[in-house]
Amino acid sequence: MPARQTINSLWWLIHKDLTRELRAQHVWPGMVLLGLVLVFLLATQIDLPLDQKARVGGGLLWLAVFFAGTLACDRSFTGERDAGCWQALTLYPVAPSVLFLAKMAVNVAALVILELVLVPAFIVLSDVPFAARPGPLLLIAALGNVGFAAVGTLVGSLTSGLRHRGGLLTLLLLPLVVPVVFGAAETTRLLLTGEIDSLWWRWIQLLAVFAAVFTVAGAMMFEFVVED
Amino acid sequence: MNNLSPDRTSTGTLATGVLITCLIFASMWMIFFVAPTEATMGDVQRIVYIHVAVAWCGLAGCLAMGFCGAMFLVRRSLEWDFWSQAAGEVGWLCSTLTLITGSAWAHEAWGTWWTWEPRLTSSLVLWIIYAGLFLVRSSIEDPNRRARIGGVLAVVGMSDVPLVLMATRWFRGVHPVTPEMDPRMRLVLLASVISFTALFAYLAVQRRRQLELSERTAQLEIAAWSASAPSQS
Repeated sequence: MPARQTINSLWWLIHKDLTRELRAQHVWPGMVLLGLVLVFLLATQIDLPLDQKARVGGGLLWLAVFFAGTLACDRSFTGERDAGCWQALTLYPVAPSVLFLAKMAVNVAALVILELVLVPAFIVLSDVPFAARPGPLLLIAALGNVGFAAVGTLVGSLTSGLRHRGGLLTLLLLPLVVPVVFGAAETTRLLLTGEIDSLWWRWIQLLAVFAAVFTVAGAMMFEFVVED
Repeated sequence: MNNLSPDRTSTGTLATGVLITCLIFASMWMIFFVAPTEATMGDVQRIVYIHVAVAWCGLAGCLAMGFCGAMFLVRRSLEWDFWSQAAGEVGWLCSTLTLITGSAWAHEAWGTWWTWEPRLTSSLVLWIIYAGLFLVRSSIEDPNRRARIGGVLAVVGMSDVPLVLMATRWFRGVHPVTPEMDPRMRLVLLASVISFTALFAYLAVQRRRQLELSERTAQLEIAAWSASAPSQS
């Protein structure tokens, strides 16, 4: 398939999911609300001096983002399965990897929406100055989002067809994305304490490698998933 | 199930089991009577000989599970899935022993049962990944679907292995990497690793055989039920 046609197909698949979500609002409002509840609960538990808040705030923020983000990964395939559209989607004349990348891109968009709400909320509720250095924070968020969405999309697609899948996605996904959670938390902690040194870059490298490896691995292995 | 090998019983299996039991006892004897007592920690340091051996088997189990899972995805033979599950289960057992022995050693060496050190954390994550994978497998009845989903997850789960191996070097952990050892200590450690690896392989082979027989029994039951169904109606 020519590259241009592939990009077109990718765009229309993303467009389809975004349009459906914007019209029906099945997932994102619930996901954002869950994230806000988590941020509220976590922020109330860190009644500490500001320098100590900065040490733990990053970890708590990313935990809230990724935990709430599992909802998006969970629903990215169950919507089609519940509506009986899964077969039609798999018959769509594109490579399975394109389908994977489209679903992953929608999950990245969901995480971006989540972060646009949760980061300001966390700043307001806890006074942790996340926005003091927005450039490095954006880099952490971008790499973390891609890594999390890559694994989340793959695992979400695997668990979506299971009959007794309640909680399975969370149970499988969170251990697999531990490098992303730890990487994002640690880089944010080092950022907030002003320690952007070789260790910070090493964590960034880990996040980048994780994101790249799982995006490629997910795209390659997705053909084994779409057989259902 | 044409792709399954015929049932083979064996005195060989029994003899191998006896031999491996002897190897394990011999390595235990070496741990307690050949290895010198470590100057700082005393006898508690002897845990290391078992800890390193089971940790190696746990990682090898994860790699074998991932490799066999990938082979199933390529070849689509349930034989590979049996190997994948068997290696994973024995690897998970070894991972459990790694955490227990490591925790006991840490209590004496560091004064705490657990610390959030990079290698400890990544090892615990590996244990959780194994557990989650088995939970998913147990929720799927169709063997081919179970093998396919298990295969993909096993390949993804392998990603934790490099982190376990490199965690201490990459993230400034306090877990010992390659400490200086007396030659006798090295010899005992080597003997322990070899004997536990043999035990690991033996258990994996036996478990694979059990899985194969279990699948054949299920197929025979289905065939018998199908044959009897028309006459009942």
